[in-house]
Amino acid sequence: MIKLVNVSKSFSQFKVIKSVSLTIDKGEVHGIIGASGAGKSTLLRLVNLLELPDQGEVEVNGQKLTNLSSKELRRARKSIGMIFQHFNLLANKTVYENVAVSLELANYPKKERRDRIIECLQFVGLKDLIKQYPAQLSGGQKQRVAIARALANNPQVLLCDEPTSSLDPNISAEILGVLENINKVLGVTIVIVSHEMEVIKSICNRVTVMANGEIYDTVSTEPIGIHHIDKSPSYFVEQLAKAGEMDDA
Amino acid sequence: MPDILVQYEAEIWLSIGETFIMVGASIGAAILLGLPVGTLLFLCRKGEVIENRLVFTVLNLLVNIIRSFPFLLLVVFLIPFTRLIIGTAIGTTAAIVPLSIIAIAHYSRLVEQSLLDVPKGVMEAAISMGASVKEIVFKFLYVETRSGLVLGLTTSIISFISYSTIMGVVGGGGIGDFAIRYGYQQFKTDLMIYMIIIMIILVQLIQFTGTTIARIIDKR
Repeated sequence: MIKLVNVSKSFSQFKVIKSVSLTIDKGEVHGIIGASGAGKSTLLRLVNLLELPDQGEVEVNGQKLTNLSSKELRRARKSIGMIFQHFNLLANKTVYENVAVSLELANYPKKERRDRIIECLQFVGLKDLIKQYPAQLSGGQKQRVAIARALANNPQVLLCDEPTSSLDPNISAEILGVLENINKVLGVTIVIVSHEMEVIKSICNRVTVMANGEIYDTVSTEPIGIHHIDKSPSYFVEQLAKAGEMDDA
Repeated sequence: MPDILVQYEAEIWLSIGETFIMVGASIGAAILLGLPVGTLLFLCRKGEVIENRLVFTVLNLLVNIIRSFPFLLLVVFLIPFTRLIIGTAIGTTAAIVPLSIIAIAHYSRLVEQSLLDVPKGVMEAAISMGASVKEIVFKFLYVETRSGLVLGLTTSIISFISYSTIMGVVGGGGIGDFAIRYGYQQFKTDLMIYMIIIMIILVQLIQFTGTTIARIIDKR
């Protein structure tokens, strides 16, 4: 469970998050959506204290992160996975080594590391690419590596900051499929920040809409499933046609 | 081999040896102290993991001051300090003191610049995975910037060779000193030219080795 209580955050006088409270239940897939600058990414980064709140409390998995020492916070972060829009992999490490890093940081038993890494890469469908470097992978493959890395330590929560925003629609759908599996099979609570409505519609149980650093509304939704994301070339044609109509009007 | 080289063979080998000692010590100082100082400069910057304005300002100022001395003046200026820690200010061993100080200042700046090139997102990933400062440095920063660190060290080593030629003023010896004393002051221009050729070959070898290693370890 994730609980934010009256959390505020400013960047040099500018209030990005204005006393926001939000509770996300265990096992939920929670979307955070809003326009650019609405504060949705900052809100997500407050969950693992990547941004320190000026005020308010953050609680994850029953632990008040805002009360922890820096050492305790580091331990707590190991059970909160995170993936990013630009993947943030280590370019000088292979796929295998990238996943291994997160196990090394967590002091995972040495003998069991190899099996665990293979297991995670298998889960995201990348078992055959373990010796490749990130530069040799496509965007979708890089995001899979990042997901495997985040999963390696059996996190209870997975934070996703615009996970599909730099990917094609069909690759996006695949990544969302992986996330959906992580939620359903492994029971991991997922929080997704996105500006794409389709991403939110496809897998989220609840959605928080943000505007100007505040929560505009939180609504329950019925996930419509990833198959609903249109991958066909006609999708692009339609989008182009729509854009054309708007120009005409 | 030209007669003049045969005639001075023993002295030439001795001076090459002295250059290797001086440059070797500089490289040691650069790696053992310049690398940590450069890393600290980076980590203490605004917005970085151990942001510390005081430490940053002091280190930054120190590095700038050392680097603003014309090297010949730094050597002379440091004579009392050298005497204090070595017992004498004259000779190859004593020459190591000013050379090490400039080496630390020189390489630390290049290390800081390399670390600035590590994408911010990689740092964020490290923090979100619960890495400590030590783990961020060794498992993330140095891994991502290793080819830059090697290229920086290569540039530094070539500068150290150049700095070492000045050490004749405090009896440090070396190829540069030999070229001045025998080649220039005794009007043996051909001997001086041979020494310059040796230096050119040395620098070419170092640059080639550095560039090759950097290319092999760079997987970006």
